[in-house]
Amino acid sequence: MSYLPKPVLVIGGGIAGIQAALDLADQGIQVYLVEKTPSIGGKMMQLDKTFPTLDCSACILTPKMVAVARHPNIKLLTYSEVIEVTGSAGNFNVKILKKPRYVDEEKCIGCGICFNKCPSKVPDEFNLGMSQRRAIYVPFPQAVPLKATIDKEHCIYFTKQRCRVCEKVCPTKAINYEQKPETIELNVASIVVATGYQLIDPTLAAQYGYGKYQNVYISLEFERLLSSTGPTGGEIVRRSDNKHPKNIAFIQCVCSRDVKINPNCSAFCCMASVKHSILAKEHLPNVDCTIFYMDLRAFGKGYQEFYNRAMREFGVKFMRGKPAKIEEEPETKNLIITYEDTFTGLKKTMTFDMVVLAVGVKPIYPEALKLPLSEDGYVQLKNQYLDPVLTMIDGVYTVGVAAGAKDIPDSVVQSGNAAIKASILAGGAQK
Amino acid sequence: MSEELRIGVYVCHCGTNIAGVVNVKDVVEYAKTLPNVVVAKEYVFMCSAPGQQIIKEDIKNFKLNRVVVAACSPSLHEPTFRTATAEGGLNPYLFEMANIREHCSWVHPDEKEVATTKAKLLVKMAVAKASLLEPLSEIKFKVNNTALIIGGGVSGLAAARDLAARGIKTYLIDRSPTLGGRAARLGKLTYTEMKGIDVFKGLIRDVAGNRLIDVYTNTELVSVDGSVGNFKVKLVKNPRYVDAKCNLCGECAKVCPVEVPDEFEFGMSKRKAIYLPFKDAYPRIYVIDMKSCTRCLECVKVCPVGAINLNEKPSELTINVGGIIVAAGYDPYEPKTGEYGYKLSNKVITLFQLERLLDSEGPTKGELIVNGVKPKNIVFVMCVGSLSTTPDAYPYCSRMCCSSTIKNALVLREKYPDTNIYIAYKDVRTYGRGDEQLYMKAGENFVRFAKFKDAPKINIDQKGNLSVTLFEETLQEEITIPTDLVVLVVGMTPPRDIDKVRTTIKIGCGPEGFLREAHLKLRPVETATDGVYLAGAVTGPKNIIESIASGSAAASRTLALLSKEEVAVEPLIAVVNEDICSGCAICVAMCPYGAISLKIIDKNIRVAKVDSALCKGCGTCAAACPSGAMQQYGFKDAQIKAQVIAAMGEV
Amino acid sequence: MKEFRPRIVVFACNWCTYAALDLAGTSRMKYPTNFLVVKEMCSGRVDPQYVLEAFRRGADGVIVAGCHPGDCHYIEGNYKTLRRMTLLKKLLEEFGIEKERFRLEWISASEADRFVEVANEMYEKIKNLGPLKIEIEGGR
Repeated sequence: MSYLPKPVLVIGGGIAGIQAALDLADQGIQVYLVEKTPSIGGKMMQLDKTFPTLDCSACILTPKMVAVARHPNIKLLTYSEVIEVTGSAGNFNVKILKKPRYVDEEKCIGCGICFNKCPSKVPDEFNLGMSQRRAIYVPFPQAVPLKATIDKEHCIYFTKQRCRVCEKVCPTKAINYEQKPETIELNVASIVVATGYQLIDPTLAAQYGYGKYQNVYISLEFERLLSSTGPTGGEIVRRSDNKHPKNIAFIQCVCSRDVKINPNCSAFCCMASVKHSILAKEHLPNVDCTIFYMDLRAFGKGYQEFYNRAMREFGVKFMRGKPAKIEEEPETKNLIITYEDTFTGLKKTMTFDMVVLAVGVKPIYPEALKLPLSEDGYVQLKNQYLDPVLTMIDGVYTVGVAAGAKDIPDSVVQSGNAAIKASILAGGAQK
Repeated sequence: MSEELRIGVYVCHCGTNIAGVVNVKDVVEYAKTLPNVVVAKEYVFMCSAPGQQIIKEDIKNFKLNRVVVAACSPSLHEPTFRTATAEGGLNPYLFEMANIREHCSWVHPDEKEVATTKAKLLVKMAVAKASLLEPLSEIKFKVNNTALIIGGGVSGLAAARDLAARGIKTYLIDRSPTLGGRAARLGKLTYTEMKGIDVFKGLIRDVAGNRLIDVYTNTELVSVDGSVGNFKVKLVKNPRYVDAKCNLCGECAKVCPVEVPDEFEFGMSKRKAIYLPFKDAYPRIYVIDMKSCTRCLECVKVCPVGAINLNEKPSELTINVGGIIVAAGYDPYEPKTGEYGYKLSNKVITLFQLERLLDSEGPTKGELIVNGVKPKNIVFVMCVGSLSTTPDAYPYCSRMCCSSTIKNALVLREKYPDTNIYIAYKDVRTYGRGDEQLYMKAGENFVRFAKFKDAPKINIDQKGNLSVTLFEETLQEEITIPTDLVVLVVGMTPPRDIDKVRTTIKIGCGPEGFLREAHLKLRPVETATDGVYLAGAVTGPKNIIESIASGSAAASRTLALLSKEEVAVEPLIAVVNEDICSGCAICVAMCPYGAISLKIIDKNIRVAKVDSALCKGCGTCAAACPSGAMQQYGFKDAQIKAQVIAAMGEV
Repeated sequence: MKEFRPRIVVFACNWCTYAALDLAGTSRMKYPTNFLVVKEMCSGRVDPQYVLEAFRRGADGVIVAGCHPGDCHYIEGNYKTLRRMTLLKKLLEEFGIEKERFRLEWISASEADRFVEVANEMYEKIKNLGPLKIEIEGGR
């Protein structure tokens, strides 16, 4: 093309950021994709399957991750954070802090010898602490880039000045304990914020006893239990006794649609729980699944049909109402749910072997951008009808869950929307 | 001279997706016994970087010249493994895939042993085909960097606006006499003071007069030829009978003697046979509805600028574009007569009609007046035409109606504080940002909600009084609500004649008729046909914001294509063996693309010749060839027969 | 005696039926094993010879499947299939191959359930018929 467009910065390497980066790069725009963790992939990578098609999540995501790594127009900056943004639309000056991995990315071949030998075991955040990784690690086998990172806080060398086992075993001499943080300065035309979400602390809904009762899980943990790369190799077993549950309850709207904690609807949990119940039945054909819900929000394409299948084909039970509390039977560690049957108005109890809480979400934003927020805690938009992804700062766009709780297809659509807007600003106007 | 075949077979566990059912070890051991297989391996995720690395290294270490991966559907990872094969130094078309996940482990979870046998057969078939594969290279075409957008509603307008802003020449067509689609008819929108028409005006500001956008209204698609990067599109422009000289004086409509129901107002008011579709229509030119016109010529006589020509004929035009966006929108569900009392009482209206009544520019200037009176009691009945509530209803959820209903309830509450408003619902699906707050606000503002499971009954007594009866699920009793107005919250359906566009462009659809995306999750604005994209509600119900976002997203994917100088297509096209071709020309007649002709090679010897730019690789010519001279790359007779033979026998 | 499991070759077009079979998989539908898919770009590529070859080599049944008429990705390939296969059906009967053993089906990309229905029905019928009783080359 005859013009030289300016680059665009995409913050966040989940599916929303990946798609925005790929769209921009395919349009001939130079993209910097900044991700604060050691690998791109985001939350979607932690999912086992996706609703309503039951596609294997990693299987459909990894080709896109690989495409990002291979794309000549994308400069991937993982383990990096945006620390300062100045300037305005068409001309943002951005400072990025590239945290030290203590591993030379050029040299590391991702062979894994170091993390097999590392003696320091740490709870694995990819599996929500349900398994362990080492202090030198890659977050998951399909990580992009497939480069090791030393977690300084848990590294024996950094904490006690001894060990250095990884350095000894590394076949390419990639370990560098002296690596320093690096500051990278960029000038970009526009910024796409795809920083995603975090789950709201489930202990805020204290009545459900998460953290107190072993067999109460949050949905992302359940997702990891279902996954063959998860802590149990895809076995649904209870934390308390490693046994298969005979019945599982899924509780909707935990820390969402709750005026005290978070009034917003989190949009994807209903379908995620329907999916969980179907997958639980697939893993354990005799398990009984019950979903406690307020409104079953099966609004997307194919969702109602999926919900119908769960009811009719898989025999999942749907109970309307939000349980009042959960108690634990001390000997069996089974869980007693007290709920009001909204159809009869009577208080009832039911006992389950396992309970999964569909926990609500809240957005994460890069502090450096100082994005004006609305009352609902999400980013304020300038004109959500005519320009659905534009924030109050011209040239800065938000996509994915950072722009309001949503499912994957809606996130991908927004990414395309932001990509073309960013692309227009990047100066690719005429050819 | 034939090379010695050296095949590598790689069987993927896909975590437990395959390995949980199929005995992968067994399959690998079996693969080692197949002819020409020099190495067979298993790996947990073949598609991961280390998995691909195994292939690349083995190509070098074992001097492989064919690669077979047994894993998921080729629609997912064939490109991944082709690339890995190429990076290992082999021609990417020397790769073959066996689908042992979608076609095996996922459909036979309870029959581990026979599933393993089937997986072996599938591997055997793939190895047999691989043995006969040939190196091929992609065919490259120059890209025509202009775009066609079908549908001038908000999603099509957003796409045109964005493409033009990036310098892409765009044709925007709509079969109706104006742009604007359905959103232009909506009243006040949620969380804003804007109305539907304001959104339209906001978009049209960037489209009208844009030198890069050619707008054709009253225009329909006739045919589409060619393929990604180079489509040849035939359009027919139906006559408007009024030209651009029109100065909007309106004298014509005054004298026109024909009155018909105004579709813009959902039939709640009348328009003339010559009319302006709505105040802010684009183009702002009157139009004659020839179906109702009586050719009395009164308008022609009165027009001060001579803009009217009743003899205007349809004209055809042909355009060449690189990419096509289908933004054909939706139709509201039209209840059958008697379905929820529809058409049995004029106090039963649809939500879309209510939107018009509440619009200050609507037929009642924004006053809720039905039959000359202001209703005191209003019942909204949700899920009309959706969630299988009636035998004619669709099974899906129409997504936008819950919030839309609540928004209208709140508008009514504010405007007419003393009305009683009920919403009869099945589930309240206020999933979108801010919608839950709207739902809570409705509750706080005494909008009453009644939950039903089976469709409510609308009763109309002899005096014409209305009531709604339903079994209220939370009360567990039947209730009857007397009312002055029933608003049927109708869902969204595929446009009634979408099939014509769909089959002309070759796009798939789901059982309900909405167009099918290339991938529901990750490619929501693309189709299975390269170069064809989807925007707005044509893929399924969407609200205005979602439609605009998807219009922009479709523009983004289109731009990704049109930014390229060249596009590469798979070389799976027809090829002639001139030595055995008898020149019978059966294939010439078979080809739907006119890609085959006869050429004279020597004196009177004629043979078939394939134009690789026109051939799309369907292979029907090869199936018809009596001598086997016509073949298709990647699907040669020998390759297919080898697969068939391999499908038989014991394993 | 070993249970008779009919072996059925499915010639599926890339755009509709192959995708429908993929959808059956992702939707975790179940159907009998031993339906073995040979992919073509279009059902119009299926030379009747292939069907004969399949029976000759020991297939107990054959399905040729593509997009619905009017929906062909290549304009009208499936009409050609229809003509060819109608003729073939007659020929097969002449050969003494029961009509239950050969089916021409239109199955769109979203009709996974349709494929499962066809598969179940055909499997049962062929199971009742028993193995194909014509002389076959190379045995089974």
